[in-house]
Amino acid sequence: MSPEPTNANGVAPLLDVRGLTAGYGQVQVLQGLNLRVAQGEVAVILGANGAGKTTTMRAISGMIARKGAITFSGDPMAKRSPDEIVRMGIAQVPQGRGTFTDLTVEDNLRAGAFVRKGADIEADIQEWFDVFPRLRERREQKAGSLSGGEQQMLAIARALMSRPKLLLCDEPSLGLAPIITQELFAVLQRLNAERGLSILIVEQNANLALGIAHSVFVLETGAIVASGTAEEISNNDAVRKAYLGY
Amino acid sequence: MGHLLQYVLNGLARGSIYSLIALGLVVIYRGTGHLNFAQGEMALFATFGAWWINDHGVPLWLAIMIAAGGAFVVGGVIEFGLIRPAGKKSPFAVVVITIGLFQAFNSLSGLLFKGAATGLPFGTLFPNKPTDFFRLPGGAIWRYEYVGVLVTVLVITALLFLLFQKTKVGLAMRMVANNPDSAKLAGVPTNKILMLSWALSASIGAIGGCLVAGINANVNLGTMFGVFLLASAAATLGGLDSPLGAVVGGLSLGVIESLVTNYPKSWWGSTYIGADTAIAVAFLIILVVLLVRPSGLFGSTRVERV
Ligand SMILES: Nc1ncnc2c1ncn2[C@@H]1O[C@H](COP(=O)(O)OP(=O)(O)O)[C@@H](O)[C@H]1O
Ligand SMILES: [Mg+2]
Repeated sequence: MSPEPTNANGVAPLLDVRGLTAGYGQVQVLQGLNLRVAQGEVAVILGANGAGKTTTMRAISGMIARKGAITFSGDPMAKRSPDEIVRMGIAQVPQGRGTFTDLTVEDNLRAGAFVRKGADIEADIQEWFDVFPRLRERREQKAGSLSGGEQQMLAIARALMSRPKLLLCDEPSLGLAPIITQELFAVLQRLNAERGLSILIVEQNANLALGIAHSVFVLETGAIVASGTAEEISNNDAVRKAYLGY
Repeated sequence: MGHLLQYVLNGLARGSIYSLIALGLVVIYRGTGHLNFAQGEMALFATFGAWWINDHGVPLWLAIMIAAGGAFVVGGVIEFGLIRPAGKKSPFAVVVITIGLFQAFNSLSGLLFKGAATGLPFGTLFPNKPTDFFRLPGGAIWRYEYVGVLVTVLVITALLFLLFQKTKVGLAMRMVANNPDSAKLAGVPTNKILMLSWALSASIGAIGGCLVAGINANVNLGTMFGVFLLASAAATLGGLDSPLGAVVGGLSLGVIESLVTNYPKSWWGSTYIGADTAIAVAFLIILVVLLVRPSGLFGSTRVERV
C-alpha cells in the first residue's frame, strides 16, 4: 500500500510529499513521510494525538525546517518560504483556527487575500458572506468575539480568500460541538464537490474523516503506516481497532 | 479655574511628545513583543543629526525630515542586523541589546557632536516670541509653540492610524501584531514587516526628539532621558500594544505632570515640587491603573472564545 509515483490514471498528483522529515530542535518528529493528494480530491490524514499531524501540515506550509521532496503541481517547494507557498496556491487553516482575533471579521477576510491584488477581493468577500451568512451579520465584530464554530468558518473563508488550489485543514473539528462539526464537514464537502477544491484534512476523529475522504493516510509516530481509499481503510482490521474501536 | 485650563494646555504640549515616543514603542512592541529601551537615545541621536544638518545651512524642518529618513534606515538596519539574530536566541538577548543600544547611541552622540554634553542650541520650529499666543476666555493663553507641537503630533498620529487601518502594509502590521503564525500562513513576509516596524518607530522617535529640542531650544545628552521615562510609562498606561492607548496615555501623563508641578507652585509660590515629584505621581497613577487593569487602559485583553 505504499504510495505510487502517480495516480492510477497516470496523472501527476497535485501535492506529492516524499521522504519528509521534520522536527523541533534535536527531536525528529516526521520520519520520512510520504503522501499524495490528487487534483480535486479530499485526502485525510488520520492519526492519534501526538502522531505528528500538525507537524506535517506546518512542514508542508514551510512553517518549520524540513527535508525531503515536496512538489506542488510538479513544482518543487520543499525550500520555499511560507509566503511563496501561499502564492503557489496552498492555504492552511491551522489547528486552533488561527483567526486574527483583534481584527474584524471583514479584515480577517482581507488578511486572507494578502497575496492577491486587485478589485475582485471585495467581490470575493461578498461571495464568502453569501456562503457563510453568519459572518456577514458579524462583519464588523472582532473575530475573537465569535463562537468557536463561527471562527472555524471564518478561518476557512479566510484561507479561501487567497484562492488556493489546495486547502489544508488541521483538525477543524477540535473543540466544536458534534452538530457544528457536521455542519463544517458538510461545507468542506460542498466546497470540494461544487468548486473542485482539493482539500487535505487532518483528523483524530476517524468517523468524520472516513465520511468525507476519497483517500486516507494513517499516521503513526511520524510515518504513514497505511493508506488507501476510505473504503479500503474502513475495512482494514488494524486501523478499525485502533481508530474506530471495533 | 483659569489656572486649570492653562496647566492643561501646557501639559498637552509635553504630553503629545510623550505620546509620539510612546507610539514608537508601541509600533515595535506590537510586532515583536519587545520593549525598545533605546527608543529615546535613538531619537536623541537623530535629533543631533537634524541639528548638524541644520547647522550646515539646511532649513530646520527639512533637516528634521532628512534626519527622520536617516532614522528610518538606521531603525531597519538595527532590526535586521541585531534584533533579529538576537531574537532567534532569546527574548532576553533582545532586552540586553536594546539596553546596549541605549548606551551606544548616547555615547556616540557625545563623541560625534562637540558640545553635546553641555547642550547645543536647537532652532525654533514654531513662532515663539513672548507675544506669540492665543488669548483664551478665562485668562489662559495658548502659546503658538504648544499649539504647533500638539497639532504636529496629532497629524502624525492620524497618518499612522490611516496607515494601520487603510493600507495593505498596515493590515499586514496588524496581522503580525495579532497572530504572527497566521500572518505567515496568509503569506505575509513577517520579517520585512518587523523591519519596517523598527524603521517606522525610529522615524517617529526622531521627530519626537526634534520637537522636544525645539521646545527646549536646546539639545543635550540628557534631553531624552526623562522624556523616554514618561513615554514608556505612557505606553504602559495605554496598554503597550495599543496606539490609541499610547496617545491617551501620553496626553494624560503630560497633563498630570503639568498639574502636579504647577498647582503647588501657585499655591505656595515654591518650587519644592518639581519634575521628579511629577514623575513619582505619574508612576503612582500607573501603578493603580495596572492593579485594576493589568493590560493597561486600551491593551488587548485577548477576548478569545474556544
Ligand atoms: N513546538 C514544539 N516543540 C517541541 N516538540 C513539539 C512541538 N510541537 C509538537 N511537538 C512534538 O511533536 C510531536 C508531534 O506533535 P504534533 O505534530 O503536534 O502532533 P498532532 O498534531 O498529531 O497531535 C509530539 O510528540 C509533540 O510533543
Ligand atoms: Mg495537531
